[in-house]
Amino acid sequence: MFWFVAALLTLGASLAVLLPLAGRSQGDSSESDHDLEVYRDQLAELERDAERGLIQPADAEQARAEIARRIIRIGKAEADRPRGMRLPKLGRLMGAVAVLAVPLVSWGLYGMLGSPDIPSQPLQERLAQNPADSTVDELIGRAEAHLASNPEDGRGWDVLAPVYLRMGRYDQSVTAYRNAIRLLGSTADREAGLGEAVTNAGAGVVSAEAQQAFERALRLEKDQPKARFYLATGLVQDGKMADAAAAWQEMLAVLPADSPWRQPTQEALAETRKRMAAVTGETPASGPTQQDMDAAASMAPEDRKAMIETMVTGLDEKLRQNPHDAEGWKRLLRSYLVLGRNDDARSTLERGLAALGKTSDDGRKFAEFATSLGLPATE
Amino acid sequence: MVEIGHFALVLAFALSLVQSVVPLFGARTGNERLMAVGGPVTVTGFALTALSFMALTTAYMQSDFSVANVWENSHSLKPMLYKFTGTWGNHEGSMLLWVLILTFFGALVAAFGANLPATLRANVLAVQGWIGAAFFLFILTTSNPFARLVPAPIEGRDLNPILQDIGLAVHPPLLYLGYVGFSVCFSFAVAALIEGKIDATWARWVRPWTLAAWVFLTGGIAMGSYWAYYELGWGGFWFWDPVENASFMPWLAGTALLHSAIVMEKRSALKIWTLLLAILTFSLSLLGTFLVRSGVLTSVHAFATDPSRGVFILCILMLFIGGSLALFALRAGSLTAGGMFQPISREGALVLNNLFLTTATATVLIGTLYPLVLEALTGDKISVGAPFFNLTFGALIVPLLLLVPFGPLLAWKRGDIYAAAQRLMMAFGGALIAMLVTVLFIDGATVFAALGIGIAFWLVLGALTDLVLKSGFGKVSGRIALSRLAGLPRSVFGTALAHLGIGLTVLGIVGVVSFEAERILTMKPGETTEIAGRIVRFEGLRPFQGPNFTEDRGRFVLVDAAGKDGAALISSKRFYPARRMPTTEAGIRTMGFSQLYVSLGDELPEGAVVVHMWWKPLVTLIWLGGLVMMLGGAVSLTDRRLRVGAPSRKPTRIADKPKPAAS
Repeated sequence: MFWFVAALLTLGASLAVLLPLAGRSQGDSSESDHDLEVYRDQLAELERDAERGLIQPADAEQARAEIARRIIRIGKAEADRPRGMRLPKLGRLMGAVAVLAVPLVSWGLYGMLGSPDIPSQPLQERLAQNPADSTVDELIGRAEAHLASNPEDGRGWDVLAPVYLRMGRYDQSVTAYRNAIRLLGSTADREAGLGEAVTNAGAGVVSAEAQQAFERALRLEKDQPKARFYLATGLVQDGKMADAAAAWQEMLAVLPADSPWRQPTQEALAETRKRMAAVTGETPASGPTQQDMDAAASMAPEDRKAMIETMVTGLDEKLRQNPHDAEGWKRLLRSYLVLGRNDDARSTLERGLAALGKTSDDGRKFAEFATSLGLPATE
Repeated sequence: MVEIGHFALVLAFALSLVQSVVPLFGARTGNERLMAVGGPVTVTGFALTALSFMALTTAYMQSDFSVANVWENSHSLKPMLYKFTGTWGNHEGSMLLWVLILTFFGALVAAFGANLPATLRANVLAVQGWIGAAFFLFILTTSNPFARLVPAPIEGRDLNPILQDIGLAVHPPLLYLGYVGFSVCFSFAVAALIEGKIDATWARWVRPWTLAAWVFLTGGIAMGSYWAYYELGWGGFWFWDPVENASFMPWLAGTALLHSAIVMEKRSALKIWTLLLAILTFSLSLLGTFLVRSGVLTSVHAFATDPSRGVFILCILMLFIGGSLALFALRAGSLTAGGMFQPISREGALVLNNLFLTTATATVLIGTLYPLVLEALTGDKISVGAPFFNLTFGALIVPLLLLVPFGPLLAWKRGDIYAAAQRLMMAFGGALIAMLVTVLFIDGATVFAALGIGIAFWLVLGALTDLVLKSGFGKVSGRIALSRLAGLPRSVFGTALAHLGIGLTVLGIVGVVSFEAERILTMKPGETTEIAGRIVRFEGLRPFQGPNFTEDRGRFVLVDAAGKDGAALISSKRFYPARRMPTTEAGIRTMGFSQLYVSLGDELPEGAVVVHMWWKPLVTLIWLGGLVMMLGGAVSLTDRRLRVGAPSRKPTRIADKPKPAAS
């Protein structure tokens, strides 16, 4: 479609140059003719004014004489003027160059500057397309658009809140959690999530506000692991190492064996014990160190990332065994891109294309999907 | 659609190259076919540029964030009008609007230029082609509005909230129509220099083009001034800001051009000077574009760190200004100069007008460029502010304003200054009375105010005197006088209206500068305050949710002497979350020609708020005067004489002796 329109436009533009060149010559009209025309107009105007009495006869006579003098003057000038040189051959060459220049310059320059493969993407259309084909950003945008017109939809806020948190949009996550709690009521998970979002928005410091949220979560569910973990981190930041270690110890005792919180808790406990040993006998720590803050800020997301990566590895393995799963390839490709593992994504694209067949319907769709994510298939 | 727009832009560039070379070559060699290429190519170039502009506008209206320019300057929640106007609310889009208007004017010349001599037409179109090619190349290489983003973000960064206003829909298009309108005069001037002669048709074309461009520029400046007044929240109408000066300089030069074009049209004199003015006026338009667009104004150093755009425009500037002036220096000597004339005559008065206006332009130019040059050379940052301009520009413009009413009353060729002065006695008396009234009854302390008001009345009454005398009121019966008034050439009305408009603007400026009242105070809900004899009550702040902003609306009610509530006005503070930017929306209530202007400051505990309040007497006259000037230009533009190019048909009854009507 684009190339068709572009070709049509180029044709039209070239014709605009070509047609006058091919047209018939209009005969030699001297320049003085035009000046004469102006003066003739002036004379006619003068007569009209004289008739309507806007100008007095004596003045009209004088004006007429003045115009006549001008006409005589251009007659002389015309006689003195050298004729223009005529170079028909050079002219024809110039015309040919001009006609050729239009397509050459435009297609050449557009080839350098343009991106003909990128379609227009009006927002409405992007939000209306099948969710399976959308990028994460588009899905979020769709949810946002929905919430902008239905701000009282608590379920929407509830879904969006953890997604924002994972994407590092902490301020928006805080708002979403607050709205979800306001509209759907308080639960341990929502309160703990709110606490985590507030903590992350404050660069990892467990503030009083976050602490209150975690405490509300624990009131609803005694062993909510996220709340307990962060409260203990808060203790470390207050310099209460021993209390923190005790809290973690207690937490490990009740944590189920397969809980994802087990490992970070163990690491945090070990780290705290090590530091307690280092500072024993010295003045008690007065506040959180940079290391503490870093640990608190990075530990939880890393843990989450590990989980995702486990899932992705599983999917990868499954596709190795059963490669004829177009949807599976798409999911794997998107996951690698989200994780920032671009090399893996590229090899996934190649493997997927090989498995599905480059010319097959599924294969072509898969390639288009990859292009839409900014990963064009290399030929 | 986006890429079609991009392609159309590239194609328009290719055509502008053909347009710059082929007709010119044809005119040099007398090859009619090559000359004939100019017209169709120009019109097609305009159609392609329009297509390209439409594509960008569509991308804005559909929030297509795969276009980087849309992503940077738009937001899906913005009201549709601001999505549309946001197209030119940024550097890239505004440059596209610039070339769109340029090609539009080129197409007009091509379409209506059938009565021009073929070589002149070909040369004019070629020169337009040069300007077009330079700016197309500038857009494509340094400011491409069609750059794409992959993957497309889901939300844009929003337009600067200050620009989310109806002013953006009106101000830039008008201003650009003015700036770029002068390009036609420039092209005609350069074409005349290339040909080495000034045709009769040349004179016939230049005045209407100048008039049209001048009308648009006047409107653009007036609109911009009103916009700054109500949007920036501190009630100033003119700041002598370099950006404002950039548009004011072409206006001053254009006004001079307008007047010298009259002399050229009526008396065949001042041809070479008019030609030079045409070049200078457009050069100042280009300079204005450079100053605003290169970023050199924010800081010479910011310009130096990212100079690609600035250097490009600087090259365009040197090429066109330097090139045209060099051509002028080479060719001006060989042009036939016009006739001579007496100093005391209409022509003489217009020359005097030109001298004042060009000197004033030079003053503004120096005041604008000096700080830049100084910073570039020594690193010192100084600002040349209002005091400099008020002193120098004021000193030049006051005598000019005093002389304005004399001009239209002087006859062509040989004027009689004493007779003109006698006829202006009534206007002079009126101005004296206005001054006396000001001193005795309003404010005896400021001499400036009395003088200013005197000048304003002098201008207004002088303009009316011209009409009264020309229609013969007082000498003949009222009915005949009325029919004579109706029969006066439109250009006479145009002149009178334009001069009257200046008087109104002066009156507005003097009124607001001399008699403005200002109060800054803290108000709690229910409290009242008094300003300029009016009582205003604050009702309190209320939150309000806009489409893409939140605001606190403060409501104020005027209370009359009997204690009854009168008109209300709303002043608010907005916050735009997308850019995290606050703006103030001043509350303005117009009463007669004066305005009450309320702006909100910081909020304090207990619902109290800092309120900044002004009483601005006669302030609307500043812009109404601009509108009247525009009207004058438009009326003059419809004068039949401009279309047929007839010589003067000045009624002679105003002069003592019959004067030659034409020359």
